[in-house]
Amino acid sequence: AGIVGKFKTVIAWHARRTHGALHPAKRRKVSSPTCDTCNQTLSRPFVCLQCSFAGCWSGSHITDHLKDTVHTFCVDAKSGSVFCSECDDFVFDDTIDDLYLSTVLSVEEQKTRFQGSREPYQPWIPTGDESIVLKDAATVPCQGRRGLLNLGQTCFLNVILQSFIHNPLLRNYFLSDRHNSRLCKHSDCTCCEMDNLFTEIYSPTNTPFGPTSFLATTWKVSAEMSGYAQQDAHEFFITALNQIHGTCRGSTNISCNCIIHQTFAGQFQSDVTCEKCGTVTSTIDPMLDISLELRSKSGEPAADNTLASCLRRYTKPEKLGAREYSCSKCTKASHEAVKRLSIRTLPPVLSFQFKRFEHKTSGKAAPQKIDALIRIPVSINMAPYTTLAMNTTGKDGETGYPGPDAMYEYDLFAVINHEGQMDNGHYTNFARFQDEWYRFDDDKVTPSTLSDCLASNAYMCFYVKRHLDYKPYVKPTYLVAREKDIVREQAMEREKEAARMKEVDDALIAMV
Amino acid sequence: MSKLTSEVEVLHVEVHRRMIENGEWDRILHLLSSKLSESGWADDLLHRAKENSRSMDPLSLQMILQELLSHAQTSVPLSVKREITTLIKQFVREQFEK
Repeated sequence: AGIVGKFKTVIAWHARRTHGALHPAKRRKVSSPTCDTCNQTLSRPFVCLQCSFAGCWSGSHITDHLKDTVHTFCVDAKSGSVFCSECDDFVFDDTIDDLYLSTVLSVEEQKTRFQGSREPYQPWIPTGDESIVLKDAATVPCQGRRGLLNLGQTCFLNVILQSFIHNPLLRNYFLSDRHNSRLCKHSDCTCCEMDNLFTEIYSPTNTPFGPTSFLATTWKVSAEMSGYAQQDAHEFFITALNQIHGTCRGSTNISCNCIIHQTFAGQFQSDVTCEKCGTVTSTIDPMLDISLELRSKSGEPAADNTLASCLRRYTKPEKLGAREYSCSKCTKASHEAVKRLSIRTLPPVLSFQFKRFEHKTSGKAAPQKIDALIRIPVSINMAPYTTLAMNTTGKDGETGYPGPDAMYEYDLFAVINHEGQMDNGHYTNFARFQDEWYRFDDDKVTPSTLSDCLASNAYMCFYVKRHLDYKPYVKPTYLVAREKDIVREQAMEREKEAARMKEVDDALIAMV
Repeated sequence: MSKLTSEVEVLHVEVHRRMIENGEWDRILHLLSSKLSESGWADDLLHRAKENSRSMDPLSLQMILQELLSHAQTSVPLSVKREITTLIKQFVREQFEK
């Protein structure tokens, strides 16, 4: 208990300290312990878990302390990695990982009160009933990997389906049986097709299978997708999202809470500032994904070629010409204004598309494909592109720090590649399960590496937020409505019954 | 000669302390992390560490660190190095002016 408590204290201290140092509004002195061996200020403290010693890793100050005092464990305050002097190496255990996670999340929750109410993190512990069910349940391996047969130029379908299969939020939803295709009453239900897809993927066989009914349903619902010609994977992606949303129970047209919107929906904010009077007009638009240009406005290829540079270009202020804007505050005619896009709400899964296919209306007849290599990172911090960050600029106009990094870290889980030209090309994809990367080429699935994936020149890529934050649980409106109906029906039943009893009583009295 | 070196050492410890207390250390480190991530340096190290550890027996973090340290130091992109060095120099200069 002593070691666990010390561990939590150290981790929480470091998390709060980092937040304090990075937040521009709070420029106070940052607490700075010194090494108990060399007296230098510690930039990366290692703390003994059995006494108050703190020291440098370099020069073996901390490891010497452990040897000298026969203490066993010390921890790196930043990463939570625990070093054991008996093993003479860092040791890893799920308990330590869970402890680190819950401590860091607790600090993060305290620091993000500005977000509004948030459900505090609790690890899941099965109840008595749940434990009984779990004891008798058959376990299946949670790695779902199956190739998908090409049904005739359907690689565009296969790569998108693989990105759904490896999407943790979609996977968890369908594996929890949240849309049971045997109970669903819709016909041509794409949501049922998703349920069937996951059933196939997690079945005991792992020979490739053909998603024929998924394809057929897609054709029935969206005629423009039908036919055996090659389609654009991104177009199919958006079509599929809309179809699944439409057939999900409880989906609505405004503020929908279906699995698609919960997973992919974010918001853009567009701020237009009038140069004359400074009035800012803001518009908020919903989005399911982000499409990034590879060329600057003038048509030249970009200088920088990373995901971050594309996002910077996307969110940089641009001047609107005199004719494009008229301010509602200054009564004068149109003048110059500056428009800036930013991300107001980040979804749990971020989908990026690089606009590699340009449709030229004049000049060349055939649309060109832009093959420029774009470097994507294995994880990305989205803070600099958010509305909140842009509104909290620090001194020197540098972008402000809008909250703990943990809120903005995203990890790559799938990449879609396209080789060849626009009309005759082939789609393949990479996807990650936990730490391992695999390459998917229709029915052929092979183990791969991170560097192969990152070097593959992405057309689309998908990132998932590292830590999800939850609103406090609110009963869905359709359940509330149903409960009200049940209460009302029961009341009516009682009234009817009472009325009937009264009739019987009256009849009896009349007879007497 | 040794007097000069020890003077420099004392200064170094002092500047180091001030930078951490000021919070500038954390801010520069944050910027450095994001630049190294964007340049692919961090992902390259992650990939190498993973592939090295696949065939390592016994698996040891210290061994992984040892194998990667020199490559990690030399493969930092020049532009990132320059930018961060400039920021550090700026801070040191400001401290001397005070």
